[in-house]
Amino acid sequence: MTGAILFHELTARQRIAAIADKGSFDELLPPPERITSPYLAQLGIPVSFDDGIVIGHARIGGKKVYLAAQVGPFVGGAVGEIHGAKLTGLFKAAARDKIPCVLIVESGGVRLHEGSSGEIAIAETMRAIFECRALKVPTIAVIATDIGAYGGIGILSTCCDFRVMTEHGRLGISGPIVIEKWMGKKAYDSANRALVWKTSGGKTKYLLGDADALVHDTADAVRDGISRFLGKSSAVSLTAVKARQKELEKRLKKFGAATDPDAVWNGMGVRNIEAASLASGPEFVALAKRGK
Amino acid sequence: MKKPTPKKPSARAVLARLFGASATGIAIEKSVLTGYAMVDGAKVCVIGTCDGTYIDNEAALRLAAHVIQCIERQPKTPIIMLVDSAGQEPNRVAEMLGLASYFGHLLSCLELARRKGHKLITVATGQAVGGAFLCYGMFADRIYALDSASVGLMPIAAMSAVTKIPAPVLEKLSKTMPSLEFGAAPFALLGGVEEVWSAEDDVQAKLAQALANSSTEDNRAELGKKRGGRKLALDIRQKVLAESAR
Repeated sequence: MTGAILFHELTARQRIAAIADKGSFDELLPPPERITSPYLAQLGIPVSFDDGIVIGHARIGGKKVYLAAQVGPFVGGAVGEIHGAKLTGLFKAAARDKIPCVLIVESGGVRLHEGSSGEIAIAETMRAIFECRALKVPTIAVIATDIGAYGGIGILSTCCDFRVMTEHGRLGISGPIVIEKWMGKKAYDSANRALVWKTSGGKTKYLLGDADALVHDTADAVRDGISRFLGKSSAVSLTAVKARQKELEKRLKKFGAATDPDAVWNGMGVRNIEAASLASGPEFVALAKRGK
Repeated sequence: MKKPTPKKPSARAVLARLFGASATGIAIEKSVLTGYAMVDGAKVCVIGTCDGTYIDNEAALRLAAHVIQCIERQPKTPIIMLVDSAGQEPNRVAEMLGLASYFGHLLSCLELARRKGHKLITVATGQAVGGAFLCYGMFADRIYALDSASVGLMPIAAMSAVTKIPAPVLEKLSKTMPSLEFGAAPFALLGGVEEVWSAEDDVQAKLAQALANSSTEDNRAELGKKRGGRKLALDIRQKVLAESAR
């Protein structure tokens, strides 16, 4: 559909156009409405007519969805008051209309220039996500760029029913530069891309079970990945949280003292690290399974 | 970790102020609080942090385990969440293990409790900043703060260091934009805190009142607009809801 262009190379609106059924996307609060951040204006920082997030409704494979895509190049996709309110509103609309909600994440978290407002907006959106989940309305986070999902948006992404990732996507809270500053270059060299991606990248997150699908870095693959989960939901039940508690305890026990991410890859069944490093999406999934 | 300044009451003193003699039912282990206490003669479950500690994978799991235990053994018992944490310590292994997922799990446990009829009340008692506040405290039905608590995204000096915007510029703007100001009072103006409790307040009575007035309806955007600290959030959200309904 988009030829050789990789999903992570697309802009937010291109991403939406590439995964939605042709011509089906209808943007809410589109740029002509010019709703811009008063904070950035006061600080003399350029504003954006969409405040760094594109929201609307569309169809994917004929199914109606609410769809949001964060704009990474605008202040790192960070969440300010307006950006956050658009996101909260979208998940609330999804709950009201019982229509799945898909968030194409590209955000470092709270927009620091707007202080605590963005933080509260993320907390409000988390509540709206769980409103959807209580109604069995699927919520899906797509994490497919190197800006990825960090800070509060990293936490928010883990609140969704499902996470679709590519090997490019990164999921975490503190980014590598912050950690390097804190722990020193010896403990974490933020320029070591292999280490950074093995720490927070899609492959490791898939192995550990924090990503539910690992797909190729193309719009078609991402759309197929989303489609897999549109009819499903993951219940917040006592059985589910008890199982998750056990799993996370086991993970901490098994890998809590590991300093080398390869230990995690080995421990999760990857036999040939080098081959797995070069494998993409489903090929990686197959290799990891084969090793188990 | 910073040592508490002499003026700061100890974790035990804070607990005693909130729960009286029943505070002895709360265990403090590695600055993580778990246990049960009484509010106005009724049992409550308590989870939280103290001493401005960092909250890591293990701490998140211990808090989650206590919430699960409460759901299983003490149906519908209100859960009081106390927050005094500097946030997550930037750490590569924690990230590799998926700290975000540990926090997401804690939030899921709290959501399950809410759906099963447990009231969730937060009191920010010390530091309630960034991720530490997001990963459980801000998820309550209603959130309160002691006026001595440090509530907000980050102090202006830290904001200035990261954004490279001179601190005096941020200071000046914060006078008209409480979102940029750090503290319980400006956070309340944004609707992020329902009420700030002062040193003179009878916090045990306040806590009882908080439980009586609790509601699972998230009212923060309404409060933020009413109090004038967060003027846009509610209108934008409603615009999305109105336009999507067409």
